[in-house]
Order: sequence, then C-alpha cells, then structure tokens
Amino acid sequence: MSETTEVPKKAKTFDRLRVLPQEVWSSLFRHPLPDSDLGRSQTSFTNFFLHIHPVKVNVHTLKPLYTMGLGLISFFLFVILTVTGILLMFYYVPSVQQAYDRMLDLRGSVAFGTFLRNMHRWGAHLMVAAVFLHMCRVFLTGSYKKPREFNWVLGVVLFLLTLFSSFTGYLLPWDQLAFWAITVGASIAGYAPVVGKEMQFLLLGDTAVGQEALLRFYVLHIAVLPAVMTLMIMVHFWRIRKDGGLSRPEEAALPVAAAEVPKARKFGLQGLVRGQVLNAGNSPEKTVYSWPNLFMAELFVFVFTLAVILVLAMFFDAPLEEPVNVTHPPNPAKAPWYFLGLQELVSYSAFWGGVGIPGLMVAALLIAPYVDRGRKGVGKWFARERLLANTLFVSFALLNVILVIIGTFFRGPNWEFVSPW
Amino acid sequence: MDNHGTHKPAEQEDAGGRRRVLTFLSAFGLIGSAVLSAFSNFVFIKPRATYGQPSRFHVGKPDDFPSGTKLALEDRRICLVRDGNQFAAVSTTCTHLGCIVSPSDTGYSCPCHGSRYDQDGNVTGGPAPKPLAWYKISMAPNGELEVDKDQEIEPGTYFNV
Repeated sequence: MSETTEVPKKAKTFDRLRVLPQEVWSSLFRHPLPDSDLGRSQTSFTNFFLHIHPVKVNVHTLKPLYTMGLGLISFFLFVILTVTGILLMFYYVPSVQQAYDRMLDLRGSVAFGTFLRNMHRWGAHLMVAAVFLHMCRVFLTGSYKKPREFNWVLGVVLFLLTLFSSFTGYLLPWDQLAFWAITVGASIAGYAPVVGKEMQFLLLGDTAVGQEALLRFYVLHIAVLPAVMTLMIMVHFWRIRKDGGLSRPEEAALPVAAAEVPKARKFGLQGLVRGQVLNAGNSPEKTVYSWPNLFMAELFVFVFTLAVILVLAMFFDAPLEEPVNVTHPPNPAKAPWYFLGLQELVSYSAFWGGVGIPGLMVAALLIAPYVDRGRKGVGKWFARERLLANTLFVSFALLNVILVIIGTFFRGPNWEFVSPW
Repeated sequence: MDNHGTHKPAEQEDAGGRRRVLTFLSAFGLIGSAVLSAFSNFVFIKPRATYGQPSRFHVGKPDDFPSGTKLALEDRRICLVRDGNQFAAVSTTCTHLGCIVSPSDTGYSCPCHGSRYDQDGNVTGGPAPKPLAWYKISMAPNGELEVDKDQEIEPGTYFNV
C-alpha cells in the first residue's frame, strides 16, 4: 500500500469507488467466513452477538439429549414474545372502555392481528412449560451444584418472573377470564401474612380489579417485568460462562494427566474461570469449535421453536371470552392452566394453598443447592448417587402436574368434581 | 499512600481511623439514600385517592323493598335483605378469593371454589375462612337508606325502620 506508484487522480477515485462496497462490508464484518481454526476463534472474539459464546465448547455440551435445548427454547420464546408483544402494543390501549374492543379490532381489522396475538398467547404458554422443563432438566442432572448454585437461584427467580409476566398479561384482553382470574389471583396475594392486604392494594391500585389494576398490570407486563427479566437473563447467561460452561460428568471434564499439559498453558485468561473445566486442561478431542458446531445447534433450536409457534398460531386461535361483567363470575371461574394447580390447592385452604405451600416449595427450590451439597452425580440424568434428591423433586413436580390436570379437566361448576368424559 | 519515613505509626493510625469514619459515613449516606428512594417509590405507587365506586351510597326508600326482599345489588356488591321492619346489607364478595356470591334458597353460594353461606352469611361449606361481611345501614336525611361499606358491623345486627 505504501509503495504508491504514479496513478492518475481519476483512476484513484475510481478505484476507491470500486472497492467501496467491499470496504463497507469489511467494516461491518471484520473477518471473512472462517476457513481456518484462527478464523473460527475470531467469530466469538469479534462479533458482538456471538461474543457471549466460548471459542471452543465441550462435546458433551452439544449432546441434544442432555439439555434438550430447553434453556435456549425458553430464551428464544422470550425473544419471540418481546417482538410480537411490541407489535401488539401498537394497537392496544390499556383502558377498560377500549381494551376489549381493541382485541376485536386485532381480529377484525388489523393485518395479521389474530396471527400475532396467537403467536404471543401460545408463546407465553410454551414459555411457562419450557422454563419449567428446563428447571426439571437442571435439577435431574444435578447441574445446580457448586459452582452453579447462584445461577440456579437466578433461574428459579426467572421462573417466577415468567409466571408473573404471564399473569399480568392475562388481564390485558379485559374479558371474563382475565377479570376473574386476576380477581382470584390478587385475592390469593392478599392472604400473605402481614403485608398481604397492602400488597394486594399496591398491585391493584384500588380495592377491586378495575381501571387502575389494568393500567398497573399493563406497565408491569410491557416495561417492568421484561426489563428485569432481560437483565437477569443476561446475568444468567454470563454466569454459565463464568461457572465453566454447561455441567457435564466428571469424565468429560477431567483434565488430561498433568504431565501432558504444558505448565505454561495452565495460566491463560481462562484461569479466571472457576473449576476444573478450563479449556486449557481439556484434551483437544473433548472440545470442538463453537463455529459451526454450537452456532448451528443454536440456529436449529431457534428455527424449531419459531416453527412450532408459527404452526400453533396458524391452526389455533387464542381464546377471547365475553367482555368483562363485574357482576357475574363465570362458573367455574378458572385461572390460566399453569395456575390451576394453585387454584385447586386454594379450594381447600386459601392461606395454605395460595401462600403457604407455594411459598414453601419456592423456598425449597431456592435453598436446594445450599442444602444438597454432595458433589457426586453431576452431569448425568437420574444419577444413582442422587436418587433421594431426584425422587423428592420428581414427586413434587408430579404432584404439581397432577393438581394442574385435576384443576383443568376435573373441576366443573362450583368447583365440583366432574368427569371429563 | 506515600510512605515516607517521616510518618509515625501513631499518625498513620489516626489517618486510618479518619478514613474508616469517612468511609462509614459515606456508605451510610449512600445506602441510606438508596433505601429512602426505594421506599419513596412504594409511597409513590400507593394511590392516595382511588377512582372506583364510592363506598357510601343510597339504595332507596324503605318502602321500595317489601318485607321478605332479598335483592342482590350487583354493581354495589351487596345484597339488601328486608325482614319485617329489619334491614341488612350483606356483602356479596366471597371472603375466600373475592368472587361474587349469588343468593340461593339456602343462603349464598360462590361459583369460584364452591363456598356456601347460610342466610346470615355464616359459612356452611367450602373453603371460605370467615362469614360474609355486614355493612352499616343508616337513614339519610332525604328518607333513603344509606349503606356504608367502610363500616362493617356484627353479622345479625339489623337496622330497624
């Protein structure tokens, strides 16, 4: 470049114009598509959107049957919900006079209105399910153990935030289901000791569900909760890296014999990562480059998730019940399905069903990694060493599922037992 | 910071003590303001005035309700009962989870979780933890009955006309 030859001015300008697209392109993407290991490493180092990934990833991480991609599915559903949610906001008005009409408008006069609402509704249902299953996966593989205790705690909080987001979104259509589900849900909050009534009042902004509650739930649903969740998801992901990647069985994580690792390699930047899971300590055949292995897997999970949502939204319409009638609760008045287990418990005792037992279960989840401190059986599904913990967890998870099924299919008018067939 | 030999250990200790006090005071100030601002957020989102229905309202003249009336005023969420010359305003908000109970032959029943109450609002079945509330009735100057939902009274206390 520096050795300039005698070039006429005109030709120089032309040359610059000729290389302009290439210049712009290379300013956007600093490196061509990788065809060498150096190039493959650079993808993670130089691309903002990929830089959360490691350069190399343990082969065990990529086993589809180990994670089933549930965490990624949850995240992609969150992204899909954010995008469809923002689009729906263009037409929604959080007012008791207008909200229901706007729902009808989505159906009747907005292009793709029904489709977007379907995507948002089914995405929300699937996200609750995916986050729950993700939690089951992490527990049953013992992945919440040291050093990942705090990330498990973050995950439990994210699960609760997912439920709360779903709950606040439920009120927005302002139909019968919305109104009575939130009336019941807010009353459950009112049973909390000491602060219950105060909390209910803060949540509703009034003594009963009305305009104030609609506005509050809207603000929580579209601003507060997504912002908090985005922040926590970022920390959740960051900690996966800092805690040494996804959990894996000891065999997969074991460094090669010390003699084989040159001393100099033991003190890389990776040394800041906790645990014996340094890439430097792994034999080469246990790790593969993230490009293309990990990125292709992630792309596949994304396309799969999106495809499921699109198909659901295509064939099933999100329900919309009668407009709110504050004087006539539907009979039976049912909460969304994931709260029907709670509602079933509540039909026995409001305090124990709505606050006591759920509170204890959440507390048990939160302290699980600090109580169950055995180091055995990490990274394997249903490890023998973790028989007790897994049995307890599966029992409680099944109990919840059974309660949800009873509440959904076996409860009729006046919450009396009915047979679905 | 600059560790010249001229500093005596005692002076250094003084500086350390001063630094500790200042650190403590600054931390106290910062954390204190954080706590105060978090608290003021709660004060902010707790409404001072609500825009819902007034809790004191007129329901009509006593003669509008013949003896034996058991009329649910749905918008007000009360049931007006007249028995001879006695009036009562029984809440129709279920004490369980806030659904609206409907008057039935035996009393009241709730569609949400199956709570049942007798004529006086006492719990006869289901998960309801306490009886339906009774509200204070008084005679307004214009001869109409006035119900005040801010004042709960002992169930079974009728207002005599």
